Amino acid sequence: MNSDTKREVQIGIFFLVLATAYIIGTFGISTFTPFGNRGLDSRSIPQLIGLLVIILSIAHIVQVILRERQVKALLDNEHEVDPLVCDEDEVACIQLSKGTIIERIDRVFSIKLLLSFVYLILYIAAYQPVGFIISSTGFLIAESLLLVKKEERRRWRVFILLFSIGASVLIYFIFTRYLTLFLPSGILG
Amino acid sequence: MLELLVSGFAAIFTDPLAIGMVFLGVMVGIIFGALPGLTTVAGLSMFLPVTYVMVSHVGLSMLTAIYIGGTSGGLISAILLNMPGTPASIATTFDGAPMAKKGKAGKALGIAVFASLIGTLVGVGVMIFASPVLAKLTLKFGPWEYFTVTFFALTLIASLTGKSVIKGLLSALFGMMFATIGLSPVDGTPRYTFGSLQLTSGFHLLVVLVGLYAIREVLLTASSKQEPIKVLEYKMKGVGFTLHDLAGNWINLIRSSLVGLGIGILPGIGGSTSNIIAYSVAKNSSKHPEKFGTGIPDGIIASEASNNGSIGGAMIPLLTLGIPGDGATAILLGGFMLHGMQPGPLLFQQNGDVVYSIFAAMVLGIIFMAILMWSGMRMFVQVLKVPNHILIPLIVVLCSIGAYALGNRVFDMWGLLLFGFVGLMMAKFKIPAPPFILGFILEYQLELNLRRGLEYSNGNFWDVFTRPISGTFLALTIISMVVTIINNHKASVRELKEKREGTA
Repeated sequence: MNSDTKREVQIGIFFLVLATAYIIGTFGISTFTPFGNRGLDSRSIPQLIGLLVIILSIAHIVQVILRERQVKALLDNEHEVDPLVCDEDEVACIQLSKGTIIERIDRVFSIKLLLSFVYLILYIAAYQPVGFIISSTGFLIAESLLLVKKEERRRWRVFILLFSIGASVLIYFIFTRYLTLFLPSGILG
Repeated sequence: MLELLVSGFAAIFTDPLAIGMVFLGVMVGIIFGALPGLTTVAGLSMFLPVTYVMVSHVGLSMLTAIYIGGTSGGLISAILLNMPGTPASIATTFDGAPMAKKGKAGKALGIAVFASLIGTLVGVGVMIFASPVLAKLTLKFGPWEYFTVTFFALTLIASLTGKSVIKGLLSALFGMMFATIGLSPVDGTPRYTFGSLQLTSGFHLLVVLVGLYAIREVLLTASSKQEPIKVLEYKMKGVGFTLHDLAGNWINLIRSSLVGLGIGILPGIGGSTSNIIAYSVAKNSSKHPEKFGTGIPDGIIASEASNNGSIGGAMIPLLTLGIPGDGATAILLGGFMLHGMQPGPLLFQQNGDVVYSIFAAMVLGIIFMAILMWSGMRMFVQVLKVPNHILIPLIVVLCSIGAYALGNRVFDMWGLLLFGFVGLMMAKFKIPAPPFILGFILEYQLELNLRRGLEYSNGNFWDVFTRPISGTFLALTIISMVVTIINNHKASVRELKEKREGTA
């Protein structure tokens, strides 16, 4: 199974499991039918949605596997060749299975993505207890330093620090004073 | 209608705050449209909380102004960076960038702004006159008609976005699953709340939208490789072009605007698709198709007139049926709801004054867009140089304020994170997001009208086939699905054939 097929099968399985759990969840919904059996109750639509998802996810898996077989039969006599990853001018190529610079770069960026998520979780968790100004300043500093290129970090450090504090304070005052929205003041409060 | 239109124009043109907010909105929109990686949706999400406390016609005018500015702003980076600022400007790069490389960037920008101006005017003009008529027509709709129109929109978007109809439908149903969390329509029974009080009211539309579009967008931009931006030099005198440059392109200009308008009306596929279709239509009907892609005005005009024509088109189903045409209009739907209005047939009856003020604000927005782009290009080009590591965290902070301020609860911020994650996963597994959004938005209407319809007809579903409007929409649904499945099958066979030929 190639990676595209695997991914598509994973999608099908995910929706199949989700829909099964979703349908099981419908049995916990109480029903109320004051007009007798004329209409649908509050369980009916979720059950219908769940059923449709099950049918479609099975159809998706079957379709993907059938297609994979068709392609495989077509390429049966061909040698299985690892796809190549080349530079822009296709001067140098490398087999994908051996791991490439591109893959390594992707890994670095997914770490950035993961850290961005962690920072967001911490930011939201601190929002109410610590307050808008401090949590936002912390988030702005951490996220900006994460995104700036490593070699430029030193150059941007002071600017990021001052900008983060300034922006958080300014936003807080604009929204609370002039736009009359409530933002948590937290420990500064 | 004329009376309401005049009073709408008076409300906007005599209110300095409204004029100021439209101006600001267009400027913000252009900046977001111009920055590659960030789209109009991120701009709308960021500035939504600013409109919370505004009077409804001012707040909504500002949001529509961002929409207009954002759709046009993409042309700047498409021409000067050879990078579309938004997906709506992809085709602008085909001729805009080569023209700029020939040292005629000022001319390319000038022509693109003019095409945007005409495209938006055509789209908005048709919207102003067609929406009230359509709204009057939809007033005659009963539950079955609503049910079938909603069903048609859902299946249409599922089949039009992405390569696989099944994945499109799964995405729509996935969105519908999230929409069933909370109280059910008709009888108000709690569903999937797991005893949580906060889940009883379900997820707010804006939390889902901002999470799925804006948070996903900024996280993807954050994780992508940051290339140093190289802006091409340009000189622009006056409007950048002469009437001579437009010779032979007037039909192209109007035709592309109408293509954009028509495609904008279809749910899910707005400017991002219309610019490519209009470009290929212009190329196919041109006397010199071989010159396309070498830097001629025809290509720029086709792309920019069509993506801006989609603005008016996407607004028509939003205002008359409450069905958004794309991500930006979905946020606008959220904006309407925040200001206590429900887009749909009754909108013109209940809030006609606000709707006509928005029409006036859109006309004003178009004028501001052209003036700002022609006179302030240098400033927008400077903004392209603002690094992402400063901009992205700031957008997240402002989007968080928007979520928190919905109900002064951190729960909505967690929702933002959840849907940001869902959006990222959907992008990774190539599941189209527009059907998810439309599924989430339309589930309530679909369920409400299906249940009502069945109650009115004593449980007889056959009624849906016998009523002319609902029957027509059901037939359209079946036809559109069958056509898409046949087309997909043909494409798949063609792909296999190509592979076979390749191995032979």
